[in-house]
Amino acid sequence: MSDERDTAGSGTDPDADPAPRPDGGSAHAHDHGLPPASSVRRWFLTTNHKDIGILYVVTSLFFLVFGGVLALLIRMQMWEPGGAVMSGLAYNQTVSTHGLIMVFWFLSPFAFGFANYVVPLQIGADDLAFPRLNALSYWLYLASGVLLGVSFFQGATFAGGWTMYAPLNIPLYTPQVGASTAVLALLLFVVSVTVSSVNFLTTMHRMRAKGLTLRRLPLFTWSILLTVWMMLFAFAALLAALMILSADRLLGTMYFATESPGGSMLWTHLFWFFGHPEVYIVFFPALGAMAEIFQTFTGRRLVGRKWFIAAMVLVALQSFIVWMHHMFLTSINLPIKTLFMATTIGISLPFDLMVFALIYTMLKGRIRFKTPFLFAFGGLVVFILGGITGVFLGAVVLDYEMRGTYWVVAHFHYVMVGGVTALVGGLYYWFPKITGRMYDEFLGKVQFGLYFLGFNLLYFPMFVAWETPRRVFDYPPELLPWHRAATVGGFLLGISFLVMFYNLYTSLWNGEEVEGNPWEFGHTAEWAVPSPPPLENFPGRASYERGFLDFVDRMTADGGEPEEEADGYRSPLSDGTGARPDGGSSTPDGGVVTGTGGLPAEREEGGMAVSHAEEPSHASIWPFVTGVGAFLTLVGLSGVQGGSLPGGIAGGFYLGTALAGGLVTLGALFAMGYESFHAPEMAVAERWPFAGVENTKLGVWIFLASDVVLFGAFIGSYVFVRFAYGWTEWHIVPHNSLPGLINTYLLLTSSFTVILAMVAAEHGSRKGLLASLTATLLLGIGFLVNKGIEWAELLHEGIWVDSSISASTFFLTTGLHGAHVLAGLVITVYLIWRAWGGAYLGEEGPIEYFGLYWHFVDIVWLFLFPLFYIL
Amino acid sequence: MFREIFVVFVVLGTVVGVVVLGYMLLNAYRYRDGADREDVRKADGDRPTLGELPEGSGGGRKLFLSFGLSTVVVVSLIVWTYGTLLYVEGGAAAQAEDPLDVEVVGFQFGWKFTYPNGEQVNGVLRVPADRPVRLTVKSEDVFHNFGIPSLRVKTDAIPGQTTETWFMAEEPGTHTAQCFELCGVGHSAMNAEVIVMEPAEYREWYGSLNETDGNASSVAAPAGGVSTP
Repeated sequence: MSDERDTAGSGTDPDADPAPRPDGGSAHAHDHGLPPASSVRRWFLTTNHKDIGILYVVTSLFFLVFGGVLALLIRMQMWEPGGAVMSGLAYNQTVSTHGLIMVFWFLSPFAFGFANYVVPLQIGADDLAFPRLNALSYWLYLASGVLLGVSFFQGATFAGGWTMYAPLNIPLYTPQVGASTAVLALLLFVVSVTVSSVNFLTTMHRMRAKGLTLRRLPLFTWSILLTVWMMLFAFAALLAALMILSADRLLGTMYFATESPGGSMLWTHLFWFFGHPEVYIVFFPALGAMAEIFQTFTGRRLVGRKWFIAAMVLVALQSFIVWMHHMFLTSINLPIKTLFMATTIGISLPFDLMVFALIYTMLKGRIRFKTPFLFAFGGLVVFILGGITGVFLGAVVLDYEMRGTYWVVAHFHYVMVGGVTALVGGLYYWFPKITGRMYDEFLGKVQFGLYFLGFNLLYFPMFVAWETPRRVFDYPPELLPWHRAATVGGFLLGISFLVMFYNLYTSLWNGEEVEGNPWEFGHTAEWAVPSPPPLENFPGRASYERGFLDFVDRMTADGGEPEEEADGYRSPLSDGTGARPDGGSSTPDGGVVTGTGGLPAEREEGGMAVSHAEEPSHASIWPFVTGVGAFLTLVGLSGVQGGSLPGGIAGGFYLGTALAGGLVTLGALFAMGYESFHAPEMAVAERWPFAGVENTKLGVWIFLASDVVLFGAFIGSYVFVRFAYGWTEWHIVPHNSLPGLINTYLLLTSSFTVILAMVAAEHGSRKGLLASLTATLLLGIGFLVNKGIEWAELLHEGIWVDSSISASTFFLTTGLHGAHVLAGLVITVYLIWRAWGGAYLGEEGPIEYFGLYWHFVDIVWLFLFPLFYIL
Repeated sequence: MFREIFVVFVVLGTVVGVVVLGYMLLNAYRYRDGADREDVRKADGDRPTLGELPEGSGGGRKLFLSFGLSTVVVVSLIVWTYGTLLYVEGGAAAQAEDPLDVEVVGFQFGWKFTYPNGEQVNGVLRVPADRPVRLTVKSEDVFHNFGIPSLRVKTDAIPGQTTETWFMAEEPGTHTAQCFELCGVGHSAMNAEVIVMEPAEYREWYGSLNETDGNASSVAAPAGGVSTP
């Protein structure tokens, strides 16, 4: 499997010219400073979205196998009532990691492999907005997956279900170190996702080809856009939950302890507020792939396209107001249950519209039942079945019986694996584009047959045997045939994947080579470039200004030369002959491709100083190193329990690893900040609604939006726990609000000095800049020292994180804020160091972005101070 | 009650599924490439072409009709299930005269039942037939869920919280209570026996409860669970 990575690009050599050049001169440097695709080094250095897409797809398929093996172990255990294969603890670990791996480490990364590869091509961008952050997302994802693997060897991995309910999730009930490691692994994964969200959102909002308004975005890109918006807000809630859980496990805080009566319910709210949007986050890319595949293989544009988009937007919004349907049997009251019943059944409405739109698209079509379409069609069939059964669960009275049973398991596998089915279709669909070779169609159909049979044999019997409780391997003998059928189905499904791996691997070497567009009726921009596309994607600036895809000569990097099209300049698209390699007809407005997408001749005259020849390197090792550092840091931290490390060699190992990891991570981040990496903004693009906000600034704003949700969840958790405890019985931790008040003034002043710094930079005053940055640093240090004194006094009185639930919430929430302050100060030190060397004068951008972050940190304190010191 | 609602949903769901999937499969066959149809030939003039600006193919009317129909179905469903919810939650319970109140406490890995006279029994719940039983459910350690599938009883057992449910068994018999929320290594065996007795026999047993030790025979009590500190 790992071989695929090395040889994925072997069909073409990106360093060679794809077409001989009439002027005999060398083409612009194709390699962006990267080694060739056949070298291993390339894959550690790359920041190109196509490479990273391949990395994601291949890595996620590995996790599919991992999660799949765990699933087969579950089915083997269910072969006999009472369990045939493993102990209770082993079984619980198996079901838990099966869920975690499939939901987190397989499904979304698989989808985002395609998103990485295809979205920039579809929108006409060269790459994502922040290529190194893209690479960082991948390496953090891989690190988190390896960390999860490590957890199996530390006593036992997490065994409390992928839902990780409290208080089963605290060391009192799951004491093994591996459980903490699994939680940390998931936490790292969420960091990776957040970085990715910021990147994709900035890209899709600010790097679209001219003429490609949001309304006109291809449907796969639309689905990714909404997925990423949901991810930004939902994962921030999960991050809060995991941070609190990690604190309970590692530091001994008491959010979920017995002393905290609201703990269990707090977890269910936090987790499901994330968990429900998560299932749409997982499904939407599949929906987008279905839409593309249906259009291509029926030869029809989507029926009701704008309503389809509106429906997707509605689902994305509604997904945040249905979460309590996972909690119908808890202590929530009747009016709330009713509300969530209505919103839950209501969310099926936009889905109905989308399903109908897809079905109606087939009418008047010329349907070719190639493998991608078989999988997309099959995916829709099972999704419909799954969706219908979901409505059952939305009816509270039925949920009263079906809660915690195999009805739920069957329902969500039908819809989620329905999504997988469509994404497998996407894999076959885009495989020729990514590799330049066609897969074997017969084997593809063989896989589909085995897959569809295996899928239904595996999951349908679960509806019949629905009264079996979840995560229980004992059942009455009359259900035996159903559970055994499911086991057989599971193995069939697994075998079908073996067929797929064989097919795709051999096709890499022996598959028929394809041109840019191997699919009749393929019409989105990725099909207008060669297979695989060159590193720079397009032979010019992609544009839809003329009402169809066109490639215009690029403007210079500094926007100096205005664009001109020479007479006789021909876009490879506007061939005019109307002839098509596959013999189909074409529309008269020139929307045609000749197939090879060869580069146009470079202009002879010196007019266009295209900057490609000096294109700076897009290679960077630092994302990889940061990933390694993060991995080591978390391995080291996993050994912490109750705020301290074990003694002896084990403790030394954990401490050493954590320290080494911390240093490596910090060093890599510094290096990444310092290295020269040029990813210029597009000179001409659709940018609504962020036209006036430059890429990095937009990225910072988006990141801060996520941080708002994070703090919102922490503050909400405090309020919830305090209410459950009894608002007035609660002992406020700090006796004296004076330190808090002083800190408030310190921070407010420091915000002012940051503004001064920005103004100084604007006016080119190095001294002013250094003075105000230093003042900010000193004020921030003052804040931390003041807080340190306050905490030392509390500790002296015996009040620490594990003293009481009140102390836990105080220390963790203000501690999180303090960590934000510390991070800000680290950045300030970096800024001072660079400013000393003369940076930022006249280019106050970075100071301004830091200022945004710093003001945010201050505003959060303005909420925390009254909440924790006064109320 | 559950049975009726379930059957309605199954019938409705099957009808919808058969209609939608049937329509899908029919049209997939009808419009396969190579089928010679007039409407397909007409549509050939307007197929997607490479590089076109993405757009839809209209056809909103059929979509609206289907969507309208599904909206009617879905909204009716919400209204009807709301009615059933009100009945289950409010009406029926209020009509219950003289319910038997039993407190249920879940623990790793079994169930304890405390009767109105204060006696606690581990692992077996005895109730009289034809009398409403109101269960107040708690947990003394982790999140469990108490369910008796054959009597259509289920509710979460949450540490720090109390939930309530009620049922009425019409016939004497034996049932099994299980745990429906993953709670640790003994989750798969966390069962209790539920014995529905003739009212007279129940009264006799209940009367004798005071005289014997609180712990009943461990007929269905699971083999020792993890001891919680």
